[in-house]
Amino acid sequence: MSFLAVSDLSVSIGEKALLSSVSVEVAKGDYLCILGQNGAGKSTFLKALMGIISSDTGDITLEQQPFRQLSQKQLARSVSYVGQNHPILDMTVSDFIRFGRYAHHNAFATWSTTDQAAFDAAVTLTDIAVFLGRHCASLSGGEYQRVQIAAALCQQAPMLLLDEPTSSLDPHHQVDVHDLIQQLNQTHQITIIEVTHDINHAVQHSQHILALKSGQVLWYGASSDLLTSAALPQVYDQAFVTVAHPETGQLIALTSEGQQ
Amino acid sequence: MNPAKKVLGLITLFTLIILVITPYLGLSDHLTPAIQQKILMDIRLPRLLLAFIVGAGLAVCGLVFQAMFHNPLATPFTLGVASGASLGAALSVFLGVGFDFLGLSSTTLFAFIGALVTIRFVYGISSMRTGFSLHTLLLTGIAISFFFSSLILLIQYLNDLPDAYRLIRWLMGSLSIVGYDAIWQLLPFIVVAVAVIFYLSHELNLLTTGDDIALSRGVNVRKTRFLLFVTTSLCIGAIVSLCGPIGFVGMMVPHICRLLIGQNHRWLIPASCLFGGSFLIICDTIGRLLIAPAEIPVGVITTLLGGPFFLWLLIRTRTPIS
Repeated sequence: MSFLAVSDLSVSIGEKALLSSVSVEVAKGDYLCILGQNGAGKSTFLKALMGIISSDTGDITLEQQPFRQLSQKQLARSVSYVGQNHPILDMTVSDFIRFGRYAHHNAFATWSTTDQAAFDAAVTLTDIAVFLGRHCASLSGGEYQRVQIAAALCQQAPMLLLDEPTSSLDPHHQVDVHDLIQQLNQTHQITIIEVTHDINHAVQHSQHILALKSGQVLWYGASSDLLTSAALPQVYDQAFVTVAHPETGQLIALTSEGQQ
Repeated sequence: MNPAKKVLGLITLFTLIILVITPYLGLSDHLTPAIQQKILMDIRLPRLLLAFIVGAGLAVCGLVFQAMFHNPLATPFTLGVASGASLGAALSVFLGVGFDFLGLSSTTLFAFIGALVTIRFVYGISSMRTGFSLHTLLLTGIAISFFFSSLILLIQYLNDLPDAYRLIRWLMGSLSIVGYDAIWQLLPFIVVAVAVIFYLSHELNLLTTGDDIALSRGVNVRKTRFLLFVTTSLCIGAIVSLCGPIGFVGMMVPHICRLLIGQNHRWLIPASCLFGGSFLIICDTIGRLLIAPAEIPVGVITTLLGGPFFLWLLIRTRTPIS
């Protein structure tokens, strides 16, 4: 049985359709990357899964439970989310990460040992213990990204949604965050859905790829099949050439000089 | 000890000192003890208690607005909600409606509706998708305030002279009451508002991080916001219909409390209540003593303090969290 099943999901704002009839299934422990042009509906898809945007039609079931029957709190115990733009918050890193326990609390709950364990685990995994006491505004982009992931992990949800987690980072920090995601998926069996623009990262690290175009599913399959698929040039309306990586021999895609 | 706990303890101590000292200020020594006693019990004490609960209510509502709009400048007063409540109250007086609905006087009910409609309107503008900024929000509030003020002026103009004077006097914001009736009338609103807001303190903490993060942590943002809108509207409506619009308490007090105690609403709410209460008592005492035996309405004092404070915040808030 699939962990997450999305069928016929459509989302629109006013007259504008952002997603139309998207269906996809995600197994427990899967690592799904979502590719597509700007405005293809990638972020909208993640937001619909997190209940940030409500869908017009379609069904989402999470662990066999219909999405519409879940309260936002129940949803947050199963799904966590790291958005694309992070507001600069007027609080310490530690205070911000502690918010991750909200979904496990009622109004009068006090901080328990379970909460502390989840907090410590999230901090250790993301390696941010050194700046716990610092103010969010004082962090660099890479540090803040790790803090955002830690705050989501503190929720201890079995599924993590990431919206372009590395797009604003330098190559070193990109590798850092990619390694972290890989570790969360493989060692901790967290189901990952990641929106990215990095085809090679998606192909190398994820298990499945969903390519969206104008709000519809363009291609879905095992990640290793994308580079040999006929759909590849349509993903970004851009031709690619594939070459073997000189170190690993894996196929990588480079943008072609000649326009399609 | 938790530093927030320590600060809250100090604020409590400060409040107690204010509560004990201020009633005796300006009490003439020439009066007999019996008359002094009567002044204290029938005039000073009810006024003190009224100032305290009004200040607490205004401060907590201001705190909620700052959290919901992610902005220290957003308060019921600056966003025009107090003007909406004033217009509602003025309208009910002008139309001469006098009925009770579920124990609410028609003035309170009209003020409540005025406040709720304004909040909904301002929020609708602030959540429109394109081009929204801090400045749009504040300008919307100013536009609404101007608009409602002219409507109130119109009502004033159409009224006969004594009513018009009463209206002006009420619009300045005043705490001059005799006896305890007003307190019993207002207390339930303040208690319910503070209780609901305290119950939602975790949600308020998360709302300050923005809707997307709040939702992804599990906050039912829509329900929380609805509850807060209704609660603060009731509270502001009840205060305004009784005491008139008393400006800037809801901006200054929560902001000072944030500086003292940090961002956690679990501590901010009780701190704002206590400090808001004692702050308004101080302002009222200043108004009472400054040109004694005449009195300056407390709303004039808070606005005189609040104007410069608002400017200071506006200059200081360079990067608003949107």
